[in-house]
Amino acid sequence: MAGTFADIMEAARKKAVKRRLAISSAKKPDLEIISRAARDGLIVPLLVGDGKAADALVKKSALQSLEHEIIDVKDAGGSLRAAVALVREGRADMLMRGADDLKTFMNAVLDVKTGLLKDKLASYVSVFQLQKSDKLILVTDTFVNNYPGVTEKRLILEQAIKLASLLGIEAPKVAVLAAIEQVNPNIPSTLDAAVLSKMSERKQFGNAVVEGPLDIDCALSHVAAGRKGIKSVVTGNVDIYLVPDIESGYPLAQSLVFVGRMEMAGVLMGVTKPVILNLPFVSRENRIVEIALACMNCG
Amino acid sequence: MIRSLDDVSRIAGEKGPKKLAVLAPEDEEFMLAVKRSWEAGHIEPVLIGNSEMMEKVGGKVGFDISRFERIIENDRQKISDLGIGMLFSGKLSIVSKGQIPTSYIYRSIIRAEGKAASGMTVSVISFWEIPGLGHLTAFTDTGVSIMPDYRTKVNILRNAVFLYHLLGYEKPRIVAISGQRKFGGTLDSYRDYKLLRKAADAGEFGNCEFVHATSFAEIFLGPRGRLRDYRDIDIAKMPHIILVPRLDTGNILCKLDFFLDVTRCSVAVTSRGAVCIPSRSDFSDSIVTELAMGVVVADRLEKEVR
Repeated sequence: MAGTFADIMEAARKKAVKRRLAISSAKKPDLEIISRAARDGLIVPLLVGDGKAADALVKKSALQSLEHEIIDVKDAGGSLRAAVALVREGRADMLMRGADDLKTFMNAVLDVKTGLLKDKLASYVSVFQLQKSDKLILVTDTFVNNYPGVTEKRLILEQAIKLASLLGIEAPKVAVLAAIEQVNPNIPSTLDAAVLSKMSERKQFGNAVVEGPLDIDCALSHVAAGRKGIKSVVTGNVDIYLVPDIESGYPLAQSLVFVGRMEMAGVLMGVTKPVILNLPFVSRENRIVEIALACMNCG
Repeated sequence: MIRSLDDVSRIAGEKGPKKLAVLAPEDEEFMLAVKRSWEAGHIEPVLIGNSEMMEKVGGKVGFDISRFERIIENDRQKISDLGIGMLFSGKLSIVSKGQIPTSYIYRSIIRAEGKAASGMTVSVISFWEIPGLGHLTAFTDTGVSIMPDYRTKVNILRNAVFLYHLLGYEKPRIVAISGQRKFGGTLDSYRDYKLLRKAADAGEFGNCEFVHATSFAEIFLGPRGRLRDYRDIDIAKMPHIILVPRLDTGNILCKLDFFLDVTRCSVAVTSRGAVCIPSRSDFSDSIVTELAMGVVVADRLEKEVR
């Protein structure tokens, strides 16, 4: 079971399969990252975009001496389409965002006809490495869906459970977060949490144990939960935190990064092939971990 | 300016003891906190709750409660109504929640504000002390409004700015946090942010600075920056007041003290005084700090005409 980012890197290296990573309109910082991943034997980068510009960048980078390909696409808007098509058609194993703006990139990836969407929705799982123990925690959905209802949350949770399994967590403990630990009909997140918890009781999430609603103090501390009268194997030992909506998920992930200084790498789930979003709050070091996670997720 | 919770404790020692009603101190952690606050000279408690339970936990923590005013009541809502009623009638300066669900207290406060026709929106402000920061940061509203609309957010911010001014911050920096990303359409919280920014520029909240950011990434990296290395994070950029879009967000963020190296302390400001809102899961250290904050706020409120 992976307990640290180093374990993830090790697991990806052990696979000893170089994955073909398509990146559209790569820039200098991207080249530094993919050069390192290529040197680690994780990937063969496919640089999709203006061939001359890509060649000039490569000559100034460590990638020059490493296996790579340049796929020349003259049309500026066409490089993203071409990169997505490469992945879609199986000529690349994974996709990474380069200089494309997030909205354009996400729209291309999630396009039902020409994109890479597999499930009814995609979700972004933030994987954090705990500082005081060798344990990874997953927080979802921290980027894609605005206000998921219970139907969407079920899918989001299933996707996170799948990622947990990939990391070797076979019976994940899940906290469905809300403002309070009691079911309150005026607070929709508590109702959704109660439904998911009941579904778990009926084994609708396999081996996962889903508890909710839980406020974050109960999720984080078994003692705190006990003082509120909650007895559960989930409290104080959570593997997956399912947030109520993007208004909580996005700030939560970022507060752990910027205030908690917790290492974070993200994974887009619900797509046919791994996609690396290259979000601005993922550090340079952890972008390599994202590539390693994508390699593990290649199947 | 009060920069830390140590400042809060020191000032509470200087300005106390203040008369404080404790609602259902029927749990050892709460009673222990009352004992320690009384010993520190911060408070003179009035204990409201179940007689047997209070005696029992008092005994367990070695606190002779026979010397204090006690009001025996078993009904949770009545306990809350009694304490809040005493605050609004001026019989005491502060109320603190004990081992009682928060919803009872908010109900009592909202009813009392209604009766007093104060027009005040009740909101909870949860402070964080972050090591090395040099100022307090607060999340609001972390307790009352489930999905506040724009007008409610205006009132929530007014309460927070008022409290920061009370604590000696001349020009608190405000951020209205949102789930808004560069993808996913425009969220209501982002529309509210734009309106609130205009309102702040027009002086609606008094002396404050409204920061042009809606996420922690924007606070720390600017609108187009990206995180290269964790060593580049400058915690000094943390604002004073963080307005949250929803109750879920506020509660989840403010209670990260169970996870991060921060200390939390929550207070509700009513038109008649401070109400300390420790969580039922809080431990005595944290509750002592919350009671001290209540004492400081009550002291400063007594000197201010709102």
